[in-house]
Amino acid sequence: MSPQQAVERTGQRAPAEPRKGFRRGPATRASTKRTYVLMLMPALLLVIGIMIPFLNGIWTSLTNKKSYINDPSFVGLENYIELFTDESFLRALGRTILYVVVVLAVQLPLAILAAILLARSSVGSWMARRVLVLPLLIPPIVAGLMWKTMLQPSAGVINYLLGLVGIPPQPWLTDISTSLGSVILIDTWAFLPFSTLIILAGLQSLPNEIKEASQVDGAGPWNVFRHISLPWIAPYVVLVAIFRVADSFKQFDLVWPVTRGGPIDSTRLLHVMGYEEVFRFSSTARGMAVIFVLWILVYTVSSYLLKVWRRTINAVG
Amino acid sequence: MNIWTKAGSKVGFTTAYVAIMTFLLFPIVWMVMMALKGYDDVIAYPPKFAFSPTTENFRSVLFGDGGSMSSGAGEFMGYLGNSLIVSLGAVALSLVVGVPAAYALIRNRIGKEDTVAFTFLSFRFAPELMVIIPLYGIFQSMGLYDSYLGLILSHQLITIPLIIWIVRTFLQDVPVEIEEAAQIDGCGPLRTLVRIVLPVIRPGVASAAILAFIFSWNNLLMGLVLSGGTTQPVTVGILQAIGFDQVRWGWMAAAAVVSALPGMLVALYMQKHLVKGLTMGVGK
Repeated sequence: MSPQQAVERTGQRAPAEPRKGFRRGPATRASTKRTYVLMLMPALLLVIGIMIPFLNGIWTSLTNKKSYINDPSFVGLENYIELFTDESFLRALGRTILYVVVVLAVQLPLAILAAILLARSSVGSWMARRVLVLPLLIPPIVAGLMWKTMLQPSAGVINYLLGLVGIPPQPWLTDISTSLGSVILIDTWAFLPFSTLIILAGLQSLPNEIKEASQVDGAGPWNVFRHISLPWIAPYVVLVAIFRVADSFKQFDLVWPVTRGGPIDSTRLLHVMGYEEVFRFSSTARGMAVIFVLWILVYTVSSYLLKVWRRTINAVG
Repeated sequence: MNIWTKAGSKVGFTTAYVAIMTFLLFPIVWMVMMALKGYDDVIAYPPKFAFSPTTENFRSVLFGDGGSMSSGAGEFMGYLGNSLIVSLGAVALSLVVGVPAAYALIRNRIGKEDTVAFTFLSFRFAPELMVIIPLYGIFQSMGLYDSYLGLILSHQLITIPLIIWIVRTFLQDVPVEIEEAAQIDGCGPLRTLVRIVLPVIRPGVASAAILAFIFSWNNLLMGLVLSGGTTQPVTVGILQAIGFDQVRWGWMAAAAVVSALPGMLVALYMQKHLVKGLTMGVGK
């Protein structure tokens, strides 16, 4: 809603006369301030409510806590030193970074391409836009299980359909060489719509006059895209990158129900590893250390991207 | 406007749209088909595209009368109810807490409003387990483990950042002048918010609430860690009912369809709000 509309709407609704019995005249500065603080209080309490377990988790990672030890003792950085000399952790770390990089490399260009196609006005793009939102509304665990049944190597419909066009059956989630790629395929189905929607909104917010003006100036379609549309949607693309980076780093929902991190450990991402350490191997402290490393990674990368995002916004505005 | 225009090939575009829609829709259609298949049709190979539909799986999911194929009677209805209580409760609490907070942040110009807002947003990016695993211990000692209240509180991690972030961007568009008029008439900040500002930003609040509900409903980890036997949400219910080496695909598909239904209904009726909420916070 534009400010103008807002004024029009409230113009009709704004109370013309203050009711009798209420205090007249400007609210005092002090009482206003107090009310603002009161309005913030519950949210601040929630922040504290989130910070307490968070700090408690960091503390736990510095102890030798196991689920069956009642009074754990402080061990300093021991868990972290152990992790960074543990090959299975380092492999999970590398795998998680690989997962994030591939997800970005696959999904960003696809989302931009899909958004460009959907931004055209035609019956086809209108229909595709209606459909686009659906995968977003399906719980990721359901999406994962759905794809798992379709990707069954011997009985699944995907291999059957591929067979019809002469492509040999693939092992998909059941082989260590294809399992991570298969999870990324499911990830792409589940989250490409979200990315496309945001970039599409960016393209649609580009004023037509700008495009037309550059076309009048003789710019070809590629040049219009390269020099007008692309810089315009840059903040939207960066925002998509932020969400995809954060969500892929902590991917759990598409892995746990589908592969439990397997076969062997080929889809064991850090978030999954943390969960397993705590709830399968009872090593609460070690699990918290894994998750805190993951948190540092997500935090560093996403706050860097947030800075880029603000810069791109300023560049456009 | 893009490289394809020059080619001007209508066939190319049509192919692209069909490809996109097939990729998006096929898994959903296949799942619905599987949910409507009898056991023999589900395990048939080659996979059947034509079959006589049955409601057996849905009856089994909803009423537990599917004989040997069902997990306990009506259990799934319980999961649905739990999800509904937790998600509605979480969104309601987030609205009550988040909307005034967003307003106070924006209008009260001391401190860095940006920084606080980004702090809330950063919760959205944090790996949930960083908070949930410690909460598991804390909730157990407080008696909040496996309780609706505990789940509603923990779901704030998902819903509060969304509500504050989206509502905040809508608030930025509200001209201060209309509020100043109200304040001169003697309205304090809270009354100004309720009487003047809320009616203006209602669409924004609606999109924020819808999105928060969907993300809360879809969440798996909170329920997996913080709910026991009595408050399990639908996502955990599905996970547990299928076991790992499941073959009850028909049951699973029906359960999946039912659990995705609330989101689908939202999509049908409120797509505009939904997309608006998603893309908020991007523009200036």
